[in-house]
Amino acid sequence: MAQRLALQRLLSLPARGPLAYHGRAFGISAGRRSTFNVQDGSDFQDRVVNSPKPVVVDFHAQWCGPCKILGPRLEKLVAKLEGKVLMAKVDIDDHTDLAIEYEVGAVPTVLAMKNGDVVDKFVGIKDEDQLEAFLKKLIGA
Amino acid sequence: GKNEYDLLVIGGGSGGLACAKEAAQFGRKVAVLDYVEPSPQGATWGLGGTCVNVGCIPKKLMHQAALLGSALKDAQHYGWNISQPVHHTWSVMAQAVQNYVKSLNWGHRVQLQEKKVKYFNIKGSFSDPHTVRGLTKAGKETVVTADNIVIATGGRPKYPMHVAGALEYGITSDDLFWLKESPGKTLTGASPDVSLECAGFLTGIGLDTTVMMRSIPLRGFDQASHIPKKKQISLITQQQMAALVTEHMESYGTKFLKRCFPTKVEKLKSNRLQVTWKNADLDTEETDSFDTVMWAVGRAPDTKTLNLETIGVKTNSETGKIIVDAGEATSVPHIYAIGDITEGRPELTPTAIAAGKLLAQRLFSQSSELMDYDNVPTTVFTPLEYGCVGLSEEAAVQRHGSDNIEVYHAYYKPLEFTVAERDATQCYMKMVCLREREQRILGLHFIGPNAGEVIQGFALGIKCGATYPQMMKTVGIHPTCAEEVTKLHITKRSGLDATVTGC
Repeated sequence: MAQRLALQRLLSLPARGPLAYHGRAFGISAGRRSTFNVQDGSDFQDRVVNSPKPVVVDFHAQWCGPCKILGPRLEKLVAKLEGKVLMAKVDIDDHTDLAIEYEVGAVPTVLAMKNGDVVDKFVGIKDEDQLEAFLKKLIGA
Repeated sequence: GKNEYDLLVIGGGSGGLACAKEAAQFGRKVAVLDYVEPSPQGATWGLGGTCVNVGCIPKKLMHQAALLGSALKDAQHYGWNISQPVHHTWSVMAQAVQNYVKSLNWGHRVQLQEKKVKYFNIKGSFSDPHTVRGLTKAGKETVVTADNIVIATGGRPKYPMHVAGALEYGITSDDLFWLKESPGKTLTGASPDVSLECAGFLTGIGLDTTVMMRSIPLRGFDQASHIPKKKQISLITQQQMAALVTEHMESYGTKFLKRCFPTKVEKLKSNRLQVTWKNADLDTEETDSFDTVMWAVGRAPDTKTLNLETIGVKTNSETGKIIVDAGEATSVPHIYAIGDITEGRPELTPTAIAAGKLLAQRLFSQSSELMDYDNVPTTVFTPLEYGCVGLSEEAAVQRHGSDNIEVYHAYYKPLEFTVAERDATQCYMKMVCLREREQRILGLHFIGPNAGEVIQGFALGIKCGATYPQMMKTVGIHPTCAEEVTKLHITKRSGLDATVTGC
């Protein structure tokens, strides 16, 4: 119980970097555990397709301006959900085949995935309210 | 058995992609192979070919960066308070340019996907006339068979292999556009437009730049003697234009080592490069140190690993380029070639694209239209740009005789240069016409700002057989540089001073 409360408190703190957590690795990973960068195809298979929890997949690119705004915004909201939803980030230049496979055209493209299926999707930048609604729908709240 | 694809395109550059996408429009099963062998210095890039990754696109963007630098200097005269000197940060420009190029790589992938063209990132080679096999980067072998095959692998920059240290220590344009850090004090050479365009923007962004050349610049653009008499391609310009372009660059700070031949490149303890060269005029040996040596000594066709000899595709023994007929067919019936890889064709994106599209139309729809390589307009994006369409003066003289042509010319001053107190000495244009009958315009040459934009419209006129009287009846737009074309009236023959003034 106490641990869950501690986790909750850590997750709701703004992401300020390692030093903000008194240098404790646990603090960082707890907050960051809900977001990860996809390493390769099999990583995507393991952590996204086969994920027991729903996952939002953020397809982004270094050269994409709006992606730089949407990414952190989405990450923040996902973190607030305390692990109910995970967020996978896919750099489309590093994982072009994967992005093509999931029919990504323009970036940012965000997919909502549940049990390996794409259940929702949006393209382009969204504000916080829209993102919250998107995430809520995914969790089924 | 039946071949897997209707069309296989080897090479995902300007020509290859255009051909593949056009064929797919006709509902054909199409595949594209694209593979970038890393440069000797390790540069590599994504789908799109030379133009997108290491040619036209990054070149024009960096040219623009340099032009903006000049604009900042001019701006003071127009009332802007900009503290001089203005500084340029290579890494900011490079990242922005490289990011844009990456977005284009992605765009091409998406387009292929949307048009249902199968893409393989493999380096293919022919194992028989209908079969190409290759290895993926991971080492997996893939075999592709097709009824028709189009070779569009383009070319890569050459190295001057007789110069010691050239390969080891020098870079080419393949590397320049991918540099994360500034190239610093740069030596480039030796002949074609690449070294002048690159030297132009390097100087423009404030770098100490030297061009070493054997003979006259823009050699690849020039001299009717290299071109078969039956077909003049509009790339040909001439000594006069080349000299003006170089003169302008010199006045703006690019150093030229004329009639010099590099002999060796060595690395110094400071990591700088020591270059030694022979000065043919003074018959001396000279040396200097540079941060970067960028070779621009021509491009070689990328055919080595294709295995063309085995299947009988003939290449030109001197250039190594694939020999094609007017329908882009090689010596093997169902194998075609387009773009930079082909012998006697301009090394230009728009011609490769057009040829690719027309080829796809001839193969898969009822078309019989051949690519017209006449009067192809082009532009060299040196600091003062040079655009042209049609014949050079030399080519016109060779074809028609000097008595049968009239050359109208003018030195002009762009209005924008006046307030900025810029030297317009090299702003020049000339129009080569037939002297007889309707006085058809054979060629138009323009040196000045936005030369490409200026020449594009006139290319239509030349295509339609425009004549000198028609040009004189065309009203100019005022105040522009282009309007001076419609007012050309002083002939070279008259010997009169060709300087014209605005209003």
